[in-house]
Amino acid sequence: MVFGYSQVVVSTQKKIQHLFLRAGFGETPDKVQAMQGTSIPDLTSQLFTSSEQYKDLLYLPFPLNEKQERKGASPFLILKMILKSKQDMEELNGQWIFKMVHTRAVLREKLTFFWHNHFATSVPFAYLMQVQNNTLRKLALGNFGELLLAMAKDPAMLLYLNNQQNRKDHPNENFAREVMELFTLGIGNYTEKDVREAARAFTGWTVNARGEYEFQSEHHDEGTKEFLGRKGNFNGEDILHILLEEKQTARFLVTKIYKEYVNPVVREERIEKLAADYFHSGYNTEALLRTILQSEWFYDEENIGVRIISPVELVVRYKKLVDMQFKKEKTLLDLQKALGQVLFFPPNVAGWKGDTHWIDSTSLLLRLSLPQYLVQGLALELQSRPAFEAPPKENKDTDSSPVPALSDWKPLADFFKNETAGHLPESLMDHFIQCNPQFMNKESFSVQGLNASSEKSVILALANIMSLPEFQLI
Amino acid sequence: MRRRDFVRYSALASASVLVPDFLKAFGNRMIPAGGNGRILVVIQLSGGNDGLNCVVPYRNEIYYKARPQLGLKKEELIVLNSEAGLNENLEALADLYHNGQLAILNSVGYPNPNRSHFRSTDIWQSAYDEDKIPDSGWIGRYLDAQCDNGCVRPHAAVEIDDTLSLALKGNKMKGLAFRKPETFKQVSQNPVLRNAAAAYRPHHDGNPSAEYLNKTLAETFQSADYIYDHSKIYRSKQTYPQHEFGMHLKTIAELICSGSETKVYYISLSGFDTHAFQRGQQNRVLKVYSDAMKAFCADLTDANRFSETAILTFSEFGRRVEQNASKGTDHGTANNVFIAGGKLAQAGLLNALPDLQTLDQGDLIHQVDFRQVYATFLDKWLGTDPAKILNGNFSSLNFI
Repeated sequence: MVFGYSQVVVSTQKKIQHLFLRAGFGETPDKVQAMQGTSIPDLTSQLFTSSEQYKDLLYLPFPLNEKQERKGASPFLILKMILKSKQDMEELNGQWIFKMVHTRAVLREKLTFFWHNHFATSVPFAYLMQVQNNTLRKLALGNFGELLLAMAKDPAMLLYLNNQQNRKDHPNENFAREVMELFTLGIGNYTEKDVREAARAFTGWTVNARGEYEFQSEHHDEGTKEFLGRKGNFNGEDILHILLEEKQTARFLVTKIYKEYVNPVVREERIEKLAADYFHSGYNTEALLRTILQSEWFYDEENIGVRIISPVELVVRYKKLVDMQFKKEKTLLDLQKALGQVLFFPPNVAGWKGDTHWIDSTSLLLRLSLPQYLVQGLALELQSRPAFEAPPKENKDTDSSPVPALSDWKPLADFFKNETAGHLPESLMDHFIQCNPQFMNKESFSVQGLNASSEKSVILALANIMSLPEFQLI
Repeated sequence: MRRRDFVRYSALASASVLVPDFLKAFGNRMIPAGGNGRILVVIQLSGGNDGLNCVVPYRNEIYYKARPQLGLKKEELIVLNSEAGLNENLEALADLYHNGQLAILNSVGYPNPNRSHFRSTDIWQSAYDEDKIPDSGWIGRYLDAQCDNGCVRPHAAVEIDDTLSLALKGNKMKGLAFRKPETFKQVSQNPVLRNAAAAYRPHHDGNPSAEYLNKTLAETFQSADYIYDHSKIYRSKQTYPQHEFGMHLKTIAELICSGSETKVYYISLSGFDTHAFQRGQQNRVLKVYSDAMKAFCADLTDANRFSETAILTFSEFGRRVEQNASKGTDHGTANNVFIAGGKLAQAGLLNALPDLQTLDQGDLIHQVDFRQVYATFLDKWLGTDPAKILNGNFSSLNFI
């Protein structure tokens, strides 16, 4: 390579940061320092161990009382739930962010976040979204086949992809199509006939008035189906089994996981090997992740600091590093919106496209200005687009009163207080810039009269380094 | 040299100091040569505007039968011809109509109409079929298409908003969103960012993401400077409504009249989701729209730019023909679009008023695909091949 990346020796500190940024949501410099004495394989094992214990998201109570549960929700009650759902979902959003910041089971949480994007769903029933979120968390590290079946029977998913309308006399192909296009094979690996036949197999899979999965045999098509070269009286489970028998499913999933965990630019030979192992392990996701995180190549220079951090990861990172808070909870949501990713509100069934798609001029400028807003306690003047159902605005230039962002930089500054001024820029680079810094200009984040013993000066230097585009790369 | 020019030149000079060499190399090639001075302004009425109460078929009994309380009587309308009248709050449109500067196209929509705001907005913004996942926008793909002969800069397509809509996101290129040129410039003035961008050289060989971020940043600064410099040469003397939509349209007028090389502007006005007590609510927003349009067109005329500007107004869907129990209307399908411009090839009502007799589940059946409207602009106004951008052949119309 022209610039000799291969010659760069990756420090242990950087490897630890890499591991935690990818497998979790990153760690603070003091925690990274405390882990320096532990070997990478041991740290990886600990990540898996600490993800064995976890808690469900239990923010929203079951919305039906006992009588309603017996009879099922009335249309009136359903309407009421829909009207309240947006607010509930926004609160649920904050709860999940909180969990990402504070949970010890970071590996599981990160993977739950990955599956939320893979099985992207958004329905106006907040409780069902919470149910789905807990299912994703529970099965995140398990066998993919089990997760796939759970999602195929997940009430939010069935409603989102209109499978309650999929009946033998009038099939709806939406779910059947997405199962193949987005969840297993990927586009181009099946025919339109496969979609039609699979849709027949999923007829009668629906959601009852208690918000549970229900199989209605009277709407199920019992006939013979021809699917991916097989012929039989297939039901929905059979279709999913057949999809898992296709090696392409393993390849499709491994590619997606590799892009997220390793590098947005894939190496085909590595994908082939990982996919073969994943397939033969019966889609054991935990084993796949162990292989990746414990491989030597995971820690190669070419895989470090090459992924653009997602908006939600960025928000969690600022919360972890400097305890970012907003006086109004809604600002947290507006920030996600302005950055282009709101938990529980994926743009469509394909989820967020990620990578360079996060970045346009406007969103980039917001990302890079964020530390300056935080450090100066400035108000983030985010005016999210009004909701469709919002009444027309009053005759004012702006209707949102700016709310200052709160943050606490002291603990982070304290960590660096014993550095000499001469060594501080180097040390900040080591902690906050993951990509190869050899081409970066250290002057660009210098602070006039930088003085390591002055807290204010260190805080400014911290904010400056977090304003660099390279801070967005993990 | 006049003072204004001097200020401009010195601003450009100081900005160019901070432009990384690799971008300087692009020079002025970034806007394709051979392009013309034509400008497209797209106005999205968000929430589903009730087109039937904008262009009213005042001789149609079905209309009044379906809308006993909501139907607008002839006396409440600005009569256009023997069949149709405009909502009286659309005074500016009536003026344009009588000047031959407005074209009204009825029953515009697409096959298998989706009645969800989100989905239908995505469909209009992506210009994809209803069953395709929208991964880019039609204006963004227009920017992509310009890349074949030297890429455009982000400010080639501008949205006045805090976030960039799907419509302006291409696969390679993306437009620029901001609310006020001065605030956008101010945010971009952060010396840390400016220094970082200036110090950057494209040599993150093994790191395309770093390359992309730094390139976008450098382009952003160029565009922020450019837009700021081209936002104040012309100062509007018109009175816009004291509503943010008015302020935003004024920003667009000043950019156009200051000679910004921006080709497409995008702006939204919300408040059209009128499920209950529609009349007052819709009339209020229509008046904001119309008053802003009046000032906007006056600005463009003043600066001699109106003949090179076309303004397209659309909504993600129309509303149900029949009013609901709350004196409102529910989500519908096909709708009218308005095309205003100083130099239209065809003006007035371009096609028949909607057929209220033949409905699909109570909704209008579309007669014109909205992508024909887009194709017309791409082909005849922006001078580019629409087939590639719209993923299909949609025949052009004759309004320009």
